[in-house]
Amino acid sequence: MRRAQPTTAKTVTSGERDATRPQIRDQAELALPSATNRKKSGEAGRTLSDKVIEAHACDEDDTALYRRVNVDAVLGHDATTALLIDDFERRGLSIWDRDRVLLANDHFSPPATAERADISNRFLAFAREREIPNLMLDRGICHQLLVEHQLCQAGGLVVGADSHTIMAGGIGVCATGMGATDILFTLATGTTWLRRPETIAVRFHGALPPGSGGRDVVLALLAILGESGAQYRSLEFHDESTSRLCQDDRFAIANMAVEIGAKFGVFVPDEVTVDYYRKRDGELLGTLVRPDQDAVYERVIDLDLSELDPRVAKPWSPANVVPLRELEPTPITTAFLGSCASGRLSDLRDAAAELTDRKVHPDVRFVVIPASVEVFKQALRAGYVETLTEAGAIVNHSSCGACGGIDKGVLGADDVCVSTSNRNFRGRMGHWDSRTYLASARTVARAAARGVLAPDLYGERRNG
Amino acid sequence: MTAIEGRVWLFGDDVNTDVIHPPAFYSLDPDKVRRGLFHGYDPDLQPSLRPGDVLVAGRNFGCGSSRETSIRSIRLNEVGAIVAVDFARIFFRNATNNGLPCLTFADAGDLARLRQGQRITVDPDTAVLHTEDGSVPLTPPGAFVRRIWSAGGLLELLAPG
Repeated sequence: MRRAQPTTAKTVTSGERDATRPQIRDQAELALPSATNRKKSGEAGRTLSDKVIEAHACDEDDTALYRRVNVDAVLGHDATTALLIDDFERRGLSIWDRDRVLLANDHFSPPATAERADISNRFLAFAREREIPNLMLDRGICHQLLVEHQLCQAGGLVVGADSHTIMAGGIGVCATGMGATDILFTLATGTTWLRRPETIAVRFHGALPPGSGGRDVVLALLAILGESGAQYRSLEFHDESTSRLCQDDRFAIANMAVEIGAKFGVFVPDEVTVDYYRKRDGELLGTLVRPDQDAVYERVIDLDLSELDPRVAKPWSPANVVPLRELEPTPITTAFLGSCASGRLSDLRDAAAELTDRKVHPDVRFVVIPASVEVFKQALRAGYVETLTEAGAIVNHSSCGACGGIDKGVLGADDVCVSTSNRNFRGRMGHWDSRTYLASARTVARAAARGVLAPDLYGERRNG
Repeated sequence: MTAIEGRVWLFGDDVNTDVIHPPAFYSLDPDKVRRGLFHGYDPDLQPSLRPGDVLVAGRNFGCGSSRETSIRSIRLNEVGAIVAVDFARIFFRNATNNGLPCLTFADAGDLARLRQGQRITVDPDTAVLHTEDGSVPLTPPGAFVRRIWSAGGLLELLAPG
């Protein structure tokens, strides 16, 4: 495993944390529901995920390594749900609560081959026969659709048949990805088994520089922790920064928590979270679960955002991270803005701002895929789609696209891609010899215009 | 669970599911899924596998996607077990749920004792790996994992009706 040395991040182990621990901002003034925040006297302080798991436990033995828990919602998409249909039907199972299921065809949307059309049709027939009310046909990437939906509520426990289900942690939800067999079990019972994870607290401080975003933050974290640094653990994010991470940045960070091996990647809810829910639902329907002040953490990481300039992950690991300014100039053939890791309105806004009155370099194909149709509509209204199209970008239908090597821009052997997606694993986006660099939407757009992923994309930068 | 006898296939750290089973081989067709195993990494590997062979790896085996086609492919190729320093959590769940034993070394340093192509026996119940040179202790699986194994997979725990 590669562990790039962090240059702007300071890590503090739990043994040291009391000396350096800044005051956690008192959030009592928000007057938010706190029923599950109460602690019985004499108990060790609990983390956010401890509380959510306990609140959902449906077994008696609270000392068991594995707890059986009720889930609030189940997420599935065409590619993984299709794998469980035969077993589900052969066993004569039925769905425990169809109102708590969200299914979306995002991998094959629309299908590019006859085989995938057949798989898609099988998936759609499964959902329609069971009259799943939340079947989202060609509406975007399931993880974005989940956080746009009322099924996804703060304090909830959500499982999904895709690793990036974890992204709902961006709004205070304990959400985690599983395989088709686990999801089949949950569809039939409304329950699953969870091992109680240890928690790593990550506290953001300082003010994020204007050119940097959530992608740069999570890449910096990957550089510290590596691909397995949070294996089996819950990452609990505390935004104590003065600039405050916007909601889209939080989704970008929570999304890639799974690239660090995490089971949950959950933000402690605050006023940014509350704003999101109020805009989405009109009122706050969920429960804002927060950790105890004396919660027991395996490790505490303090990340100063003030000096965090743009980052890139080089092939073929999302943890192979360097500051962009240290990268050797790398000519690119493809730029991709999309996937559940990005492709949200602020990403499209950043790219449009970079490409206003500019053109995509003639040697580059720039593919843009909004994360959902809702995001696409907002981007249309804001004029971002027109700006990007005038610049020479291709704006495609909301779906996973080339992120998983599916369609709409799969890479050939000689392609070098800079991408806002979450994985640059070898062969993932296409040919085994293709090369993918991960970066923010702003960096992707600048590289698309220059034709080169260059260390001076943000000008000559000071050392630091 | 009966003991597994086969040859060692050695891998390093952070072997992800896109390397184990490239997305281009995603399918509901078992033959296509079977052929995709490690196809980009080494196209000659899959045709050389024999029933009972054991994948032996370093840290974080199976990181990445939750797609169970990677487990299906390993099962369709009749790989007997996977022994690693540790596993990515979704992969471990998927394998266990499908009755594929994933075991970890009791001492991570023992990985260095195994050689490519070496014949070994893995006994999941006693958590011991035997080579011609001696035995390598593995971490005994917990009661929950044993329960799924003995049931024949997670779905066998579903109450009928």
